[in-house]
Amino acid sequence: MSDSYSFSLTTFSPSGQLKQVDHALAAVAQGTTSLGVKASNGVVIATEKKQPSPLVDDSMLEKVALICPTIGCVYSGMGPDFRQLVTAARKSAQAYWKMFNEYPPTRVMVGEIASIMQGATQKGGMRPYGCSLLVAGYDKTRGSSLYQVDPSGSYWAWKASAMGKNMVNAKTFLEKRYNEDISLEDAIHTSLLTLKEGFEGQMTEKTVDIGIIHIPSEWDTKNPPEALAGDKAGHLPGMPAFRKLSEEEIKDHLTL
Amino acid sequence: MNAFANELNGARGIDAALHDDFEGGSGGMPTLQLPNTADPTGFLREYTDEQNDPSCRIKINHGTTTLAFKYKGGVIVAVDSRATAGSYVASGTVKKVIEINPYLLGTMAGGAADCQYWETYLGIQCRLHELRNRERISVAAASKYLSNITYSYKGKGLSMGTMICGWDKGGPAIWYVDSDGSRTSGNVFSVGSGSTFAYGVLDQGYSYELSDDEALELGRRSIYAAGHRDAYSGNTINLYIVKETGWTHKGTIDISELHYGDWKPKNENEFRAPSEPYGYDIRHGTE
Amino acid sequence: MSIMEYNGGSVVAMRGKKCVAIAGDLRLGNRNMSLAANFEKVFPITQKLYVGLPGLATDVLTLRDTFRFRTNMYKLKEGREIEPNTFAHLVSSTLYERRWSPYFVEPVVAGLDPNNSEPFIAATDLIGCLNFAKDFVVSGTASDKMFGMAESLWEPDLEAEDLFETVSQTLLNGVDRDALSGWGAVVHLITPEKIITRSLKSRMD
Repeated sequence: MSDSYSFSLTTFSPSGQLKQVDHALAAVAQGTTSLGVKASNGVVIATEKKQPSPLVDDSMLEKVALICPTIGCVYSGMGPDFRQLVTAARKSAQAYWKMFNEYPPTRVMVGEIASIMQGATQKGGMRPYGCSLLVAGYDKTRGSSLYQVDPSGSYWAWKASAMGKNMVNAKTFLEKRYNEDISLEDAIHTSLLTLKEGFEGQMTEKTVDIGIIHIPSEWDTKNPPEALAGDKAGHLPGMPAFRKLSEEEIKDHLTL
Repeated sequence: MNAFANELNGARGIDAALHDDFEGGSGGMPTLQLPNTADPTGFLREYTDEQNDPSCRIKINHGTTTLAFKYKGGVIVAVDSRATAGSYVASGTVKKVIEINPYLLGTMAGGAADCQYWETYLGIQCRLHELRNRERISVAAASKYLSNITYSYKGKGLSMGTMICGWDKGGPAIWYVDSDGSRTSGNVFSVGSGSTFAYGVLDQGYSYELSDDEALELGRRSIYAAGHRDAYSGNTINLYIVKETGWTHKGTIDISELHYGDWKPKNENEFRAPSEPYGYDIRHGTE
Repeated sequence: MSIMEYNGGSVVAMRGKKCVAIAGDLRLGNRNMSLAANFEKVFPITQKLYVGLPGLATDVLTLRDTFRFRTNMYKLKEGREIEPNTFAHLVSSTLYERRWSPYFVEPVVAGLDPNNSEPFIAATDLIGCLNFAKDFVVSGTASDKMFGMAESLWEPDLEAEDLFETVSQTLLNGVDRDALSGWGAVVHLITPEKIITRSLKSRMD
């Protein structure tokens, strides 16, 4: 019974650890690999979309999720936990939009998600979320950014990062390949190459999921068009947006 | 003629039995038309009563400060000149002292038209009295004439609060007459929404033994205080003094100029300028 | 008498060329009785953003504190100052939260965009209906009177000092026709370089 407390609720062990959080991290480490790379003109997040059975209709599988027009995320770990977080994050983004008539900056959105995840490590009757998130977003103050959020509720900004089963190898690979000046096209390519390391089975447009933010060269963050017209939706026309790549687009990138 | 017109449009004339018919040649009371309904005052209230309906179509001037007081040298009469319709300042140059004749002044508070009409009418009756009796009417008699009228219209919606001021055989006199029909004489009166503010200064500075200059200054300073504090009073002060020889207008004085100490009399008839600004230095300091 | 006229007071804001001006009177009254000549109704939110809150005095103070709280929290959370357009929506949202028991205040927002110094003005009704104007906005018990002044005095692309004169004359002459506004005035002129705040001498009756 020496460590039985670590199965009831998140309680400090005498050595100062939260075993449940460590176990949640272990769940992440077993999850499929996902990664994110920042480019000079955008961000890419990608993951392996493993099918549990060839009989599953893969059009249903979605691992990269949109939170609001300017923010999207991907996860490693437990899918159901991830979907709960996405639902909460989407509500939070809409509440922010309702209050300010614009979508939250990436850092604020990440803070909200991290706060929810931290809450699960402390509240009675809860367990930590069994997933880590990579959040990609764009806002006019900081431009594009990439964050990782862990089950403990801690988060960091990255230039490039990977999580899940193949994290160590993938990170080493990214460290070797990454430089800050790469274009979004190159970043997507790098992402696919990194995923390929240790990919289980055939990597096709049906077995990877990719989300991107592309900042057009003509977009001026400090002087957005019509930014002062006032009664505009939070997402201005032509503003950089988060979107998922279609199977056709992924196919094009794979054949490159 | 009037009776004929009334018959034509079906309007009912006020019972003028108390007074002579205006056009009957004996110089009596004019016949005024009332709306041809069972409840003429209720009908009128629908269109004039701000208390019940602020958006009513006819608004009557309520905001005012007027004052008059007796002292050994005569009577001082001072009034403001602001007319408001709701919060709108409709005019800043209203004459609220009605010069009934060279010895009689009437002040105006409440309905501007009511005061103007009936005090002018009072002037006619005073002149007729003079012609009939070869002597001027007393202030008491004149005010009684007015209060008889307002009492005869009691409940019909007249709105007046007036001071009939003058000098007669008995010396200086002030009679307060209002549309409820009440009539009282006294040494110090102030009427209108700003009267409480004026009384504050007036009561504090009043004495029957005041000199002319001190009395004029007190009247002016009192209306200034009301113009300052009361939102519905202000713009300019009209200052009068009544002596044995009749009344004299002692100036139309801008309250803002008094506040900042910029006011100067425009001719020798006007009262002297105050020795110091009334408000600016006191409230804002010069340091 | 409407609760909006209980204390009296008025605010006007105007757009100029790379500048905005916002001005308010200083009267605090109790219906017809004027109480104080130092009741400011225009408050700074950031270096280049002001809000004017004419209406019921107790709500003016409560809303001032609410907006200070919310913009401080915004700054801490986001690590940046709130921008005029965003703040206008915050004002609107805050007021609509009290849709069925409103604050009796009709705010005016005026500021410069921190990125490109574009002037911004807006006004809302007491439950947060936003009105973005390209010329001027008025609010308070003298709003109808100031509309008349502003319509005749305002012109496009006024330079800072001309805008100051225009907004001052609009306020001063507007409140002189209003029994419930006046008793002094304050003008804030917001330019990309600096804020100029001036007290105006006005009629005190």
